Amino acid sequence: MARQVVVLAGTNKGLFIFRSDVQRRSWRVSGPHMSGWEVFSVLCLPPRAAAGLRLLAGTSHAAYGPTIRLSDDLGATWTQMPASPRFTMESGLRLKRIWQLTPGAPDELETVYAGVEEAGLFVSHDRGESWLPVDGLNGQLRAGDRQTASSGRCLHSVLVAPTRSSRMWVGVSGAGVLRTDDGGEQWVTCNACLPAPEAVHAKTGTGQYVQKLALDPRDGRTLYLQHRCGVFKSIDGADSWQPTDQGLPGSFGFPVCVAHTGEVFVAPLAGEDERYMPDGRLRLYRSGDGGDTWAPCDNGLPAYPSYVSVLRDALAVDSLDPLGVYVGTTAGELFCSSDGGDTWQALPGQYSRITVVKAWANA
Amino acid sequence: MRIDVSIPSLLEDCTGGRRRFSLDAATLDEALVRLNTTYPLLRHHLYDEAEQLRQHVLLFFNDQNVARLERLDLPLRSGDRLAVLQNVSGG
Repeated sequence: MARQVVVLAGTNKGLFIFRSDVQRRSWRVSGPHMSGWEVFSVLCLPPRAAAGLRLLAGTSHAAYGPTIRLSDDLGATWTQMPASPRFTMESGLRLKRIWQLTPGAPDELETVYAGVEEAGLFVSHDRGESWLPVDGLNGQLRAGDRQTASSGRCLHSVLVAPTRSSRMWVGVSGAGVLRTDDGGEQWVTCNACLPAPEAVHAKTGTGQYVQKLALDPRDGRTLYLQHRCGVFKSIDGADSWQPTDQGLPGSFGFPVCVAHTGEVFVAPLAGEDERYMPDGRLRLYRSGDGGDTWAPCDNGLPAYPSYVSVLRDALAVDSLDPLGVYVGTTAGELFCSSDGGDTWQALPGQYSRITVVKAWANA
Repeated sequence: MRIDVSIPSLLEDCTGGRRRFSLDAATLDEALVRLNTTYPLLRHHLYDEAEQLRQHVLLFFNDQNVARLERLDLPLRSGDRLAVLQNVSGG
């Protein structure tokens, strides 16, 4: 069977699935799947010995709340999981959205993590069918909430170290970066050298407005984050951070994405108040030197005014060579580059607000 | 007594693909319990972690909002209707 590239694009009104060959020039689209539901997170779990490829989606609705849905037939049909993530009554929390779905370490094929709003982390050990809270982290987040009178945050980023399964990082809006080195029992805040938070957070070391956290897949120690105040890089597993945004047109934005080549992509916005592209022009920025310098990559992106945004999970890369890069906008447009960002093409159709984009290549 | 239940299409995969179905119960509160125990996924979408009806979900018994009824031990009659609605607007 010829190799196929699949792109999942979640919107606030369902999921669309795009398929192409590895040239990534001609695309077929199906959907909407799970019509009417917000799809804030998606994940493809590779086949294993006794089971085929599985898709997961974190779905939610303003009235009816969130659940996890699974598909074992490449998205043709979806099944809701009755044992989806849910806080206990005693917690006093309400689960509003499932922001992130992340596979466990390479030696934990059955494990999946879910980052949620209100901020919390859940884990599944059966490929998404049932879920348990990660109490070590969730308890620490609640203690921080009590000290700082914070609430309503989301846990939007979950990263698992590729070579050390007991190490993970999470990114939490309003708290920052936290890391565990024991598989999730103990967590430490990793916000050293980030901009000073408001005074109320001094005792907890939190209060950081981290929008997205990404890991360089090549070494497991280099991380990037898009902060409300700029792009930052760590080369020591998040023990410390340094600004790395020379050449970017602004400091505010949401997504940051690292390819298997080490190239880094961001989508800066005009500012926190505007939340649209600078000068009304859809434009990504790419760094090929680990964030030291950045340059725009927009050849083929719309030349017309585009007062749109790119949400934190709506920028993705694939694992192919040459690299594929995918970006979805809040205006429902999806663009693809099959040459690492040098040139772009629009994928067919215009959709609702694109909330998440993920891509993978089928064997 | 058998009553008629209707739910939005968004929730039909919680009830085996049915938007309209019947339910046997003697009183309204018994019907609500039976609805939630028969369809646990529906319960998940109607009630939050505190077992409160979600903020933007409405339950109507005939033409009355269940949240505004003074008591739920109302005897059911043939032809009574229980409807799940969403209180969300926009556009």
